[in-house]
Amino acid sequence: MGAGLRTLATRAGVALGLTFGADAAWAHVASAQAGAFYAGLLHPLTAPEHVLPMLALGLLAGQRGLHEGQGVLLAFILALTIGAGLAPSGVTPRWISPLNVGSLVVIGGLVAASWRLPIGLLYALALGFGATHGHANGAALPSGLSPAIFALGLATAASLTTGYGLVVTDALSRLKPAWPRVAVRVAGSWVAAVGILVLGMGGKAFGGL
Amino acid sequence: MNPPLSSQYPRFATLIGLLMPALALAHVGQGDLSGGFVAGFEHPILGLDHVVAMVAVGLWGAQLGPPAIWVLPVTFPLVMAFGGLLGGLGVELPGVEIGIATSAVVLGAMVTLAMRPPLWVAGVLVGLFAIFHGYAHGAELPESANPLTYALGFVVATGSLHLVGITLGLANRWSWGTRSLQAGGALIAVCGVYFLLPHLLGA
Repeated sequence: MGAGLRTLATRAGVALGLTFGADAAWAHVASAQAGAFYAGLLHPLTAPEHVLPMLALGLLAGQRGLHEGQGVLLAFILALTIGAGLAPSGVTPRWISPLNVGSLVVIGGLVAASWRLPIGLLYALALGFGATHGHANGAALPSGLSPAIFALGLATAASLTTGYGLVVTDALSRLKPAWPRVAVRVAGSWVAAVGILVLGMGGKAFGGL
Repeated sequence: MNPPLSSQYPRFATLIGLLMPALALAHVGQGDLSGGFVAGFEHPILGLDHVVAMVAVGLWGAQLGPPAIWVLPVTFPLVMAFGGLLGGLGVELPGVEIGIATSAVVLGAMVTLAMRPPLWVAGVLVGLFAIFHGYAHGAELPESANPLTYALGFVVATGSLHLVGITLGLANRWSWGTRSLQAGGALIAVCGVYFLLPHLLGA
């Protein structure tokens, strides 16, 4: 099961590398010309506000192992895609950004605490934060690009980052010594600390809320 | 054997993402992503009063061994960020500089004497000082910097200083290492006294 998934991930990674390697070399081309898929792929990756929570969610799911964790990530990616599709272009409610920064605190804090939460609660978190992160990304859709293709790029970026966290954490958790599991928890506490600090900056961070 | 490409790609993609700030619309602040990280990373490292106290936390954690060796580095960033939150919200906290200098004196003394209090006492002590450290500069965001990468650099630098202390503390398993750690603790305490002097002399 685990090995099969890893082989699949490797193949997908190689395919993606071949497909987008060429695009990456042309990273200076204006975003509008790079295509809706690439814009959707890059948008969350250009914002630590989205990258960090997605990596942290991968860690959180990875603490439960590959089997349980992958369902949680799938729920997140689904909610992200739907949230992006439903977001009206160019309109971002003011509370979305603080909420997304809050997801750093919640997800990072749970990784640090390493509690064995009911799996339903993890699904609820993944769905909720997937929707808010999806909304923030969807609202930033550059005009003239296909929302559906943009959302597909978004889902790819989310699969890569969360999947990375999941696979790495699962692999670390299988090691004999305790310190790799501790390192994952320390990473979670760092993510949560970043979220708390940014929330503490208040208006400075969120453009005069 | 090289790791599979699949594990390298997200890092690669993230790197490309970080190199393309032009696309980052509608995110936390706008600002300079890499500049923010550097500014945040420098902040704890450029102040020697912070550096010695952070290293002392790691040294003491290593002396205490498990579970303190990992409880302290997991707890410290969270409590420090809470201190930064207090600073950002404008809550008054008197004697911040004195608190930071005192933290070097006290933590240095703990390492020198190789004190082994119960875990919760060590946790409360370190947590108390963490609030001062976070308060002092957690909210000092430079105008042009991206808030999130600034906070990230700040936390990573702080955590790395702990790791330096913990790694040095691994020498504790040899008898000469134990002595060296205690000497290092004494040096940190002396630094703390030096930072404390201007406040005591009313300068």
